[in-house]
Amino acid sequence: MGPYEISLATGVGIYVILAVSLNLITGYCGQISLGHAAFFGIGAYTVALLSKLGWPMYLTLAAGLSSAGIIGVIIGLTSLRVKEDFLAIVTMGVAFLFVGIVRQQEFFGGEMGISGIPSHGMTKFAYLCFVLVFAMLSILFSWYVKKAWIGFAFDAVADDEGTARTLGLDIKSYKLTAFAMGTSMAGLAGGLYAYYTRFIVPETFGFIESITILSMVAVGGIGSTFGVVFATVLLVMMPEVFRFINDYKLLLYGALLFGVMRFKPEGLSGFYTLLTGNKEK
Amino acid sequence: MLFIELFIQGLIQGSTYAIIAVGLTLIYGLLRVLHVAHAGLFTLAAYLGVTVTNQFGSLSLGIVVATLTSGIVGVVIYRLVYEPILNKPPYVALIASIGLYIAMEELFRLIFGPFGLSFSSAPLQNVVVIFGIHLRACQIITVITNVVLLGILAWIAQKTRVGIGWRATVDDPEMSASFGIDPIRVRYLVFFVGSALAAVAGVLVALLTNLVEPTMGAVPSYKSLAIIVLGGLGNVFGTLIASLALGVIEAFGTIYIGDFLDRDAIAFAFLVVVLMIKPTGLFKSR
Amino acid sequence: MKKMMLIATLCFVVAGLGTGWADDTIKIGLHVPLTGFAASDGKSSTFGAELAVKQINEAGGVLDKKLELVIYDDQANPSQSIPVANKLIGQDRVVVGVSGSYSGPTRSAAGVFQEAQIPYLSAYAIHPDITRAGNYVFRTSFLGEVQGRAGAKLIGEIMDKKRVIMITLKNDFGKSLAAGFKEKAADFGITIVNEYEYSMKDRQFGAIVAKVKADNPEAIYASGYYFTAGPLISELRASGVNAPVIGQEGYDGSKFIEIAGKAAEGVIITTSLDRDSKVPETANYIAEFEKLAGYPADMVSASVHTAVKIAAQAMENAKSTDPVKIRDAISRISMKASTGTIEFNALGEVQKNVQNQIVRDGKWHHHSVIDDPELLAPPEK
Repeated sequence: MGPYEISLATGVGIYVILAVSLNLITGYCGQISLGHAAFFGIGAYTVALLSKLGWPMYLTLAAGLSSAGIIGVIIGLTSLRVKEDFLAIVTMGVAFLFVGIVRQQEFFGGEMGISGIPSHGMTKFAYLCFVLVFAMLSILFSWYVKKAWIGFAFDAVADDEGTARTLGLDIKSYKLTAFAMGTSMAGLAGGLYAYYTRFIVPETFGFIESITILSMVAVGGIGSTFGVVFATVLLVMMPEVFRFINDYKLLLYGALLFGVMRFKPEGLSGFYTLLTGNKEK
Repeated sequence: MLFIELFIQGLIQGSTYAIIAVGLTLIYGLLRVLHVAHAGLFTLAAYLGVTVTNQFGSLSLGIVVATLTSGIVGVVIYRLVYEPILNKPPYVALIASIGLYIAMEELFRLIFGPFGLSFSSAPLQNVVVIFGIHLRACQIITVITNVVLLGILAWIAQKTRVGIGWRATVDDPEMSASFGIDPIRVRYLVFFVGSALAAVAGVLVALLTNLVEPTMGAVPSYKSLAIIVLGGLGNVFGTLIASLALGVIEAFGTIYIGDFLDRDAIAFAFLVVVLMIKPTGLFKSR
Repeated sequence: MKKMMLIATLCFVVAGLGTGWADDTIKIGLHVPLTGFAASDGKSSTFGAELAVKQINEAGGVLDKKLELVIYDDQANPSQSIPVANKLIGQDRVVVGVSGSYSGPTRSAAGVFQEAQIPYLSAYAIHPDITRAGNYVFRTSFLGEVQGRAGAKLIGEIMDKKRVIMITLKNDFGKSLAAGFKEKAADFGITIVNEYEYSMKDRQFGAIVAKVKADNPEAIYASGYYFTAGPLISELRASGVNAPVIGQEGYDGSKFIEIAGKAAEGVIITTSLDRDSKVPETANYIAEFEKLAGYPADMVSASVHTAVKIAAQAMENAKSTDPVKIRDAISRISMKASTGTIEFNALGEVQKNVQNQIVRDGKWHHHSVIDDPELLAPPEK
């Protein structure tokens, strides 16, 4: 593998974690979020700041994970209060507030971002493996959640809150659990990203990024881990494969999002069902 | 004096928000679709307005062409995009719409170039001084257009047969269908009117800034979503008030709390606070 | 699905062929924002680079080989430029990298080039940390701070205006300009009455304009790009604010004048391209660019043109395409280019005169030059 393939694969690994983590919240538990990149950003900023203070990598990553998770739970509280389209817009607001606040504070590097993040101290290939291990772990975790009792509870909450309530499920704590798990994984992805680029700016974690992550989930097939991972690889690689038609790259990206939703609203995991005959969900 | 001037500038900005957002909330009220590509029609109209005006030297012709074309494209988008996926979960239409918007933005760039277009000699720039406040004709016209268009809209909704049929369909589609109101025709009408409103806003913004760019719809695309939520989804009057209020808050916010939050974040801070206190928006949703 | 795979395979094959037959050329890598919000600057960058390559090849190429440009889009996005930089280095095997992009993507790509030890020239990105990525990274334009200091001298000394309002664009460009301006303002007797900030996406400035009018300054130092400055200055003039407006290289180009119309008259900017230059390199560039691109030259294109020319000259001087030798040659270079005489300091920063341009009769013209070496000194580390 050359440096190009390695850097690309590292990017894919980070996005797999992000997409899988959003799938926990939106796919499993039915809580739409248009602000997931904010947690990605919280993780990245925590890790960037702490690593510059000389904290070792495992501690910074743990801190990135927990800070995103804690703020995630706080944001999750809003999902107890507002629903559906209102929740979509509130989480979108979170995306704008995060960027809006970070870019104004000198403490976070403001518009100039944070550069000079210390190296992870591995070769590029070793770091790729490191990221892929986390990506694998998040996929396994996601499968585990699906099969475990909590997965059934999430399903019930996503399908119909009224029924879930009559079943005696504590909807509030399940929703908060979903937010805690999903956002802390996003925080981890942010930490990995900070060590990967060693330079972060607020704009990277804006609304557009949130949409990109949500697209991966939706194109893959909401709730299907396999589909989401496949879509993530596809969507991250696509601009690279089409780099030779620079000018039309984004146009194709938009058209693909639109096309999949219009003609295959259940996402690409529909193809998987078609091929194997076994339905994941 | 400064306060009055800031207030007026806020109203001008708020009026452009209102014209876009009212179209969006009409569509939401009827179909519960978060129509992000609405902002693509806003951009389309701005491009058409400038191109036609530069070509034929007539702003009125530019406005007519822009409004009609955007209206028709809006109906086509409904027919080809939303209608087949209306019974899917709401995120499906939302993401389809976002994809469509991205593709439109890129098409504008490929067709009209990345540099943006300007009027060869921008119309309605003459300055009028009212009580010491300098205003350009296009700024005054923006506010007047807002009042007149929304006035007409209210009149149609309340007093005409078409309007009564439309409101009935919003309230209870099945019931109104049983009274012989064709719900599909109502949807076409709403998309046409909503998109035409976005078009008017597009041309007005082109006049205000004398610059039409592929990405000019980006800010309206999400800010108008925040506005229609504040206004109570589907509520036209609420949307109008929310737009104007946001315009004024932004005008004061830019000057007095600009160090802490930027303009786009002000809108969303306001939104998050309101929704936490009142989860259904400032006004009753329809 | 099968069809898609087939298309994808085809693409790889075509791309592979493209790189196969090019051994008799020397490759220079360029990343620019061709799509997204910064696409216009990407376009100008591309024309600037293409013009440079055309001129070099018509004059016999470099080391008797033709120069070849490899251009990729980075969407002005820092995460996109990392794989792009790796692709330029790993797959296309470029001997020099040039950034025709903004600060974010340039800063992240700089790290990749430094690590691979391939020389890298940033054409117009202004983030101070770019050249701090290491000794393989150079910048052919001013730092934002340096230009901000020049702006302070222009207003306080050359124009002799003392009560100044700042209108600052909230991004790395505007912020570093503002920092440099504030640093030197007092030295030139300037009082900063107030500072207002706006974001990159703003096109309507009614509130700021109303406040500026109430402040009644002697001059306005407004950072921004043509697409924000055009509407801003139209609004300032329409609301009766007649104080002179001083901008920077972000205004540079004919599009600003097109947007602002008559309001653009008298606006002065600090930049690096002198339209009325008698220097042959610059005059020739301005004429040739318009012939190639179909619109007048701007600062962005001139900076990229300069960067590519420097890369080629360095290879000639080094008589080699070995990255280490090219790097050494770049660090020792002294050449006249379209944006002035280029010589790098230990950090890889350039020191050159600031060209002040003014709009008269709908065109940019020479206003004055700032050549104070102390004021314009870039950081050494």
